[in-house]
Amino acid sequence: MNIRKLVWLEFKQHKSQLISGLLAITLGIAVIVGIRSISVVSEKAVAVNLDNLGANILVLPQASNVDNYYAADIDAPTMPEEYVDRIVSSNLEGVDNLSPKLTRRIKVGTENVVLTGIMPKNEITSKPMWQQSGLLGNDLKASCAPTNAVNQSNGYEDEKLKRKVIDSLGADEYLLGSTIARKLKLADGGSVVILGEKFKVSRVLNETGTVDDDRIFIHLRKAQELLKIPNQVSAIEIMGCCNAISDGLLSKLRNVLPDTRITTIGQIVATQIQTNKMMNKVSLIFLIIIIFVGGISIGNFMWANINERRKEIGMLRMIGFNKATIYRMILAKAFVLGIIGGLIGYILGTAAGVWLGPELAGLPVQPIPSLILISLCISIVVSLLGSILPAYLAGRIDPFKNMQEV
Amino acid sequence: MILKTNNLCKQYQHKDVPVDALNHVSFDVNEGDFVTITGASGSGKTTLLLSLAGLIQASSGEIRIMDFDVVQASDRKLSDFRRKHIGFVMQSFALIPYLTAIENVMLPLAISKGKKEQKYQKALALLKLVDLENRKNHLPSELSAGQQQRVAIARALVNSPTLILADEPTGNLDPSLSTDILNLLKKINKEEKITILMVTHSPLAAEYGNRKINLHNGCIN
Ligand SMILES: Nc1ncnc2c1ncn2[C@@H]1O[C@H](COP(=O)(O)OP(=O)(O)O)[C@@H](O)[C@H]1O
Ligand SMILES: [Mg+2]
Repeated sequence: MNIRKLVWLEFKQHKSQLISGLLAITLGIAVIVGIRSISVVSEKAVAVNLDNLGANILVLPQASNVDNYYAADIDAPTMPEEYVDRIVSSNLEGVDNLSPKLTRRIKVGTENVVLTGIMPKNEITSKPMWQQSGLLGNDLKASCAPTNAVNQSNGYEDEKLKRKVIDSLGADEYLLGSTIARKLKLADGGSVVILGEKFKVSRVLNETGTVDDDRIFIHLRKAQELLKIPNQVSAIEIMGCCNAISDGLLSKLRNVLPDTRITTIGQIVATQIQTNKMMNKVSLIFLIIIIFVGGISIGNFMWANINERRKEIGMLRMIGFNKATIYRMILAKAFVLGIIGGLIGYILGTAAGVWLGPELAGLPVQPIPSLILISLCISIVVSLLGSILPAYLAGRIDPFKNMQEV
Repeated sequence: MILKTNNLCKQYQHKDVPVDALNHVSFDVNEGDFVTITGASGSGKTTLLLSLAGLIQASSGEIRIMDFDVVQASDRKLSDFRRKHIGFVMQSFALIPYLTAIENVMLPLAISKGKKEQKYQKALALLKLVDLENRKNHLPSELSAGQQQRVAIARALVNSPTLILADEPTGNLDPSLSTDILNLLKKINKEEKITILMVTHSPLAAEYGNRKINLHNGCIN
């Protein structure tokens, strides 16, 4: 028998009341953890976008939604594929590479996947018109992107760049995002039936941490045929050079394709950064709220608990527990409460983030173990702060004042 | 002399009206005494006992137990002193409801150093002494009133006190159980040489002591 055990036994005794005391702090922590898990991946994605894609331009049909760069082409309205030729023939300075895409959500077996039709580079560049325009053999210039070394050290490699410059792709071949490969249990060389036609895996792409991990890439022609959307595309990605963009490439493109939406990744990323900033602000506000509401509700719970245990505290004082020991016991209990609140909050928040992340941010969210520590710290500190006053008052109550008989 | 009080007074404030619960109480207790304190209800018996242990602050006067100044001592010193030298036995047993018999007995040892096993063995030996070894893992609610009081007595003994303060220890027990408890206290007084101060309003119980103090309206008769 020692103090710790005593605290624990008492704690177990009243565990049914805990919920009310811990509700506020647990929910508060959950919200913070949830927001944080989502915004971390979102921030990472933004960093990846900026690093890897530099000055990418996205041409979308007028009616499309551009909240999320990677998801912008999914289920977007379509526009004629002929737009690609228009861009090429207008001979604009600074257009390094073009990638028309057609994207739809489909089902493969029981899995939801995003099917994207792409035009491999060898076919684009072999078009006579393209050769004239001087695009032939122009390797993608990532010169305006920040250093490749940074990307590599971040482990991103140039997977997203590769996606834009898929050199060749047979009509019955397809590329597979890493998540969907795992879901469908497919590896290089495996085959699968998509919309009634059999395809062979050309390559499983490396994990990117974006929606691309859920995509299946097939040849654009094949996609148009299988989806029955001939000669239409949902987006055209343009690798442009930064300098050219600042020189007005965007407005020149708008002149060429007046009935489209043309945006740069920079603009989209900027909105994403805005959103992240807002999320962080919301987290901060929540932090302040839980410090108050959580602290007060724990303090209130502790005070009720102490009052209920007046008699017990009297007994402990009687057998020789001093006030300091009583304080310690109360704070130890607050500590345990803090641990429980922090852990449950972390679990709930992480679960919510993992579950809602793909919906809210279009990104797969992973649990962030380091947030456990932060959750615990916040929760413990709030719980201790909230319990200081009750503990102090508990030391001051005179158990024998109104109770001659203990 | 093990305990000495001098002009001990305790005044309660009841809705701004002062109530004199103890009025210049002075008496001595010698080592090995079994003192019984009698008096009508409201005569100040409990107030006296709690004041002696420093659980309520005396209004004036002196209390010395083994030369320890109870009235002046700090909370920390007083608590240590209580733990080491005073055992309590209360009418309502004062057991912690969520602790088993043996845990209750070990409770005063919770704040003292020592090995777990040693503490356990000591508590077990005391449960044996009060004949409750086979109930060691029962909660108070699973024990009869007499058994609960015996657990409380075992707890009072666990720190080998010099003094036991008992407030109507048989007040909640029927006569035959009362006799058991009183005999147990008598045995402890005789064999362990522990001084006992026992408050009772039963004249029969008062006969177990070797000295009687009678309180009337907070004064010694
Ligand atoms: N907390 C208190 N506030 C006011 N008066 C009290 C308080 N406790 C006890 N008293 C009064 O002090 C007197 C002595 O009480 P007590 O020591 O409990 O007597 P006994 O134990 O002999 O029955 C009684 O008149 C009682 O009403
Ligand atoms: Mg009384």
